[in-house]
Amino acid sequence: MSDRNAVTAARKPDDGDERGPASGGISRRAALTATVGLTVSTSGCIRQLRSAVNRDDVDPLSLTITTVPADSDRESIRLARAIADALETAGIDVSIEMRASEEFLRSVLINHDFDVYVGRHPGSPDPAFLYEALHSLYADESGWQNPFGFTNLLVDDLLEAQREADGDERRDAVERTLEALAVEQPFVPICRPTEHRLVRNDRFDGWDDGHLAMRTGYLGLESRNGGADDRLRAVHTDPRPSENLNPLAAEYRDRGTITELLYDSLAVDVVDTDGDRSLEPWLADDWVFEDESTLVVDLRSELTFHDGEALTAADVEFTYEFVADTTRGGDPFPAPSPRFRGLAAAIDDVTARDDETLVFTVGTGQDVGERALTVPILPRHVWADRSASASVRGVSVAEGTTEALVTDNVPPIGSGPYQFHDRTEREHVTFERFDDHVTRRDGVELPEPTADELRVQIDPRSTSAIQLIENDDADVTSTPLETYVIDDIEDRDDTRVVESPSWSFYQLGFNARKAPFSNPRFRQVVARLIDKAWLVEDVFHGYAEPIAAPVPDAWTPEHLEYDGEDPELPFLGSNGEVNREAARDEFEAAGFRYDSEGTLRVRH
Amino acid sequence: MLGAVLAQLIVVVTAMVFVSVGLFVGRDRCRRTRSEWRHRLRAAAPITIFLAVILLLNSVARQVVPDFSWIGEWRLGVAWNATSMIYDLEGEFIVWLQSQATPWLTAYFSFIYIYGYVFMLVFPVVAYFALSDTHPLRELLTAYALNYALGLLLYTVVIAYGPRNMLPDLVDALLYDTYPRYQHLTRQVNRNTNVFPSLHTSLAATVSFLAYRTRDSYPLWTVVAAILGVSVAISTMYLGIHWAIDVVAGIVFAYVCVELAGVLVGRWSVSDWVAGRLRD
Repeated sequence: MSDRNAVTAARKPDDGDERGPASGGISRRAALTATVGLTVSTSGCIRQLRSAVNRDDVDPLSLTITTVPADSDRESIRLARAIADALETAGIDVSIEMRASEEFLRSVLINHDFDVYVGRHPGSPDPAFLYEALHSLYADESGWQNPFGFTNLLVDDLLEAQREADGDERRDAVERTLEALAVEQPFVPICRPTEHRLVRNDRFDGWDDGHLAMRTGYLGLESRNGGADDRLRAVHTDPRPSENLNPLAAEYRDRGTITELLYDSLAVDVVDTDGDRSLEPWLADDWVFEDESTLVVDLRSELTFHDGEALTAADVEFTYEFVADTTRGGDPFPAPSPRFRGLAAAIDDVTARDDETLVFTVGTGQDVGERALTVPILPRHVWADRSASASVRGVSVAEGTTEALVTDNVPPIGSGPYQFHDRTEREHVTFERFDDHVTRRDGVELPEPTADELRVQIDPRSTSAIQLIENDDADVTSTPLETYVIDDIEDRDDTRVVESPSWSFYQLGFNARKAPFSNPRFRQVVARLIDKAWLVEDVFHGYAEPIAAPVPDAWTPEHLEYDGEDPELPFLGSNGEVNREAARDEFEAAGFRYDSEGTLRVRH
Repeated sequence: MLGAVLAQLIVVVTAMVFVSVGLFVGRDRCRRTRSEWRHRLRAAAPITIFLAVILLLNSVARQVVPDFSWIGEWRLGVAWNATSMIYDLEGEFIVWLQSQATPWLTAYFSFIYIYGYVFMLVFPVVAYFALSDTHPLRELLTAYALNYALGLLLYTVVIAYGPRNMLPDLVDALLYDTYPRYQHLTRQVNRNTNVFPSLHTSLAATVSFLAYRTRDSYPLWTVVAAILGVSVAISTMYLGIHWAIDVVAGIVFAYVCVELAGVLVGRWSVSDWVAGRLRD
């Protein structure tokens, strides 16, 4: 184009001059001047074009909410849809992707392939779990170790501080951490459901002695028919325990109630039905801090695994090292276990002093260090060989995928109160009492397995699970009932609803590795589009408690309690309806822009 | 519990088949069947064995199909998680359909979904066996085999959850919440990602299409099969198990299977082949 212009411009004076060759020189000069001038102006034009064209469009934001289908968790998909509606109102295009439970967890926890997700976080009775859940050191690991990819050095400091402190000092540090999280919103804690389970009360007593999401809920039950038929029949709505019994597999465990019955730990968390928590010795006879960071643990004597092999201090030492790196140093690429990793990280070193004594070097405060004693003890003779990379002929598997992380682990060999007997996938998994279990010894004051057999029947819906209980085909619903059936449960003499507090909570998790979820201002506005109190009524039928802090009530400071509205980020609207204008104003105030059609546009 | 539900199913369907034999087949055909059954059995044996093999494979494969689907979706990009797209396409049609629910309709469609469907698959086998011409029988069994074999392929490639899994608050799982005992029965057969296409619809439509082809032999059955076929298709949507798109796909799929069966049946004869081999 520039050439043609130059030619036309150069010719013009020629055409105008008909008088003689003398004027040719002038016209040539004019032509030259014109050409140079035009070249200069065209190159400017092109640069401008380049500047204009080489700018990426600010695209309309479209995001995917990953969650599970109603068969896996009715509340999750309902929350996801309600949140999708709220985001759509704010001008964001949303689609929902449903994945089977284990595929959902694999996407979120292992592959980190999601925009945002809605699901249930297993939580913990103790706020120390926030360290592994949010510390930037864990942003690249799998499991419940920072699946959000959240990285903030100031928050890191706070998380470390709460881990190192003890007593009141720790309480203050936790409070400061929670305050920072309420502002940062690495995930939006939505609510904590109250757990309801239906039990038969004509066959066993003692349902209120332990929390039914933990091993102690199924121990210490008293048979009411004098031990004539001592089968404990649980009905489980989640089929995964019939498919996989690997305590380390994050995709197959929620809180790991069933694997807790198969694997013992040195100490166990005991939460009673009032939510009071204590740490009790289990495989350990006793423990004592010899100095600030040296924890000496005495094992009970003559412990054995289900296969008859002795459980010694060497197995304990092995377990803690294995959880930190399942390749056992055999690979330059360490592969920590996706579960229990955070707990074990409190321990810098474990050494077996003799067969029954262990010395732990604790890298944290004593409160958090003791909590590390709840890691399940794995038999060295079974798991040592599982440190090799999982191999599938003809297919390459990801680096750091050890056999230990992917094995179904059937039959499982632990030392727990129940041992594996039999299973049919998606139908049942049956356990037998382990008669040599430590709780059955004379002089040991711990709740023991009373039923000879524990049969966990799989039944995917709460309504049919209830029917099994009412027809005397089952004794307890081991998974909490879905909230929509609770009001319809018949009042009967032979059944009873057991209500227990929960420490697991529903959340909206952001993938902070991606824009705009990496921006705390964006996350804050999204948090303000969620009407937690309304969702509790609408989705959970009131059987949940809206929360602003992801820890149990005992640890929630007063100014972070949900009191009618979110203390930090109140809802932008009313009765679940987002106020479109208010949402838009907030996004704009946070530095985002809307196009003429009311669509939120962001760089991502 | 499963045993009791299963026993009830067998009793009810057997009774329905007996009544229908009296109504549609008639005494003459039964009498002739008594003298010709050996010949007919021999003619239908190869395809029966083939169908049995397919069903056996199917029952094994069903267990692993979800595993393959998720591997296909994640690693190979050949499987497709389609629920959200289906929902975007058809919106809340199922919600509207369910808003028409009455207790009578729920009872009717639940009955159709369980008993009507099984009856619909069993009766034509008996009815076509009672015909001197074994062609319809062989076509029916071939179409069944194709439904199961090709259906499995589609289930592997398309991962989709039904409406009750996406919209649990809007779509009631009417069958399972009204009659929880059926959960035990259908769970044996179905995995929840296997909704596209609706195999209930495609098998029922297969029977209806073939009934139309044999309308000269069984005019009354053609009408009943049409009514039952439509009822089964509606029941899968009414009960919140399938999307409308699954049902439409099921009907198209049935048509393909029936046409394919028409092309395939009679093309090869196992008995001729065996005879030829023996002669050589």
